[in-house]
Amino acid sequence: KKCVISNLSILDDPDLKDIDPAVLKHCHAAAATCILEAGKHKADKSAISTCLEDCKLDRERIEEFCTEYQKNEDALEIILGSIGRSPLHITDVSWRLEYQIKTNQLHKTYQPSYLVTLNVENSDSGSHPDVSFSCTMEQLQDLVGKLKDAAKSLERATQM
Amino acid sequence: MLLVLSEEQREHLGCLPRLGDAAVAELGRLALELLRRGGAPRALEAAARKLGVGVDAVQHGVEALTYLLTESSKLAISEIDFQDSVHVLGFSDELNKLLLQLYLDNRKEIRSILSELAPKLPSYHNLEWRLDVQLASRSLRQQIKPAMTIKLHLNQNGDQTAQVLQTDPSTLLHLIQQLEQALGEMKTNHCRRIVRNMK
Repeated sequence: KKCVISNLSILDDPDLKDIDPAVLKHCHAAAATCILEAGKHKADKSAISTCLEDCKLDRERIEEFCTEYQKNEDALEIILGSIGRSPLHITDVSWRLEYQIKTNQLHKTYQPSYLVTLNVENSDSGSHPDVSFSCTMEQLQDLVGKLKDAAKSLERATQM
Repeated sequence: MLLVLSEEQREHLGCLPRLGDAAVAELGRLALELLRRGGAPRALEAAARKLGVGVDAVQHGVEALTYLLTESSKLAISEIDFQDSVHVLGFSDELNKLLLQLYLDNRKEIRSILSELAPKLPSYHNLEWRLDVQLASRSLRQQIKPAMTIKLHLNQNGDQTAQVLQTDPSTLLHLIQQLEQALGEMKTNHCRRIVRNMK
């Protein structure tokens, strides 16, 4: 009856030490599978109850299971939604404005230049080298203009 | 600011008056081609034959002219400074005028060629975007997860790369806000003051 969504190894749990470890593992796996399937299909209480009734669980246990499940179903949905491949995800941006004066090949260049760094995360490993690039003011204006178009289309889509 | 020419360069330039103005114009053309496309030994040989001088003389002349033009362009020296720098070579007025014209006509192009030599980070080229909504995945059905997929085109050392990235709506708004702040910086008093005083 413990919350099986916790990370504790059930085999180390003192309350469960009297149960045969093999049985314990089977129960744990079964409960986990049930929970994951329920989460995947966003099953409601009646669907879960029906499923557990078919497995010959008594009313009291079904109630407890459902209560625990409902306490955690939002967290579960988030975890399941985050599993999967996706392109590198942008998490943040930092920028630097410089004023170029000269290079060793060319003096008196006198122009502003931006260095933009996009912090990105990999869906698998978490971190990834950042994407950095330089741009002129006009290019940055172009970039921001396009991002604003994207945001506008997002706003329009949410109003549909 | 005056241009400083070494002994050797002065010597090489010293043979220009003997060749005549038309020849100097030809050498000037070769110098610019050298800057645009790199060495061209055949062209130098052809010029040497046409002018009736040794290939070495042509090569030295072209190299010296190239140096004269690139240094002047690099430092962006004024007309007067250029004339004064060339004056020490003791050339005729016509030759001086020719060299000055060569400088003025080509310095913009030379400066843009020189600007390519600076150390560079990948630079922005273009951005494409696409609004996606994820409806389901293997782990979770019945989703509505909006995401913005972005293809960022960058240039590095002449190669174009495209990187596919993704972001969520709130991060997108955050990016826009941050980058607009960045654009706004150039208009602040601080930056304006620096730009004014740096000229």
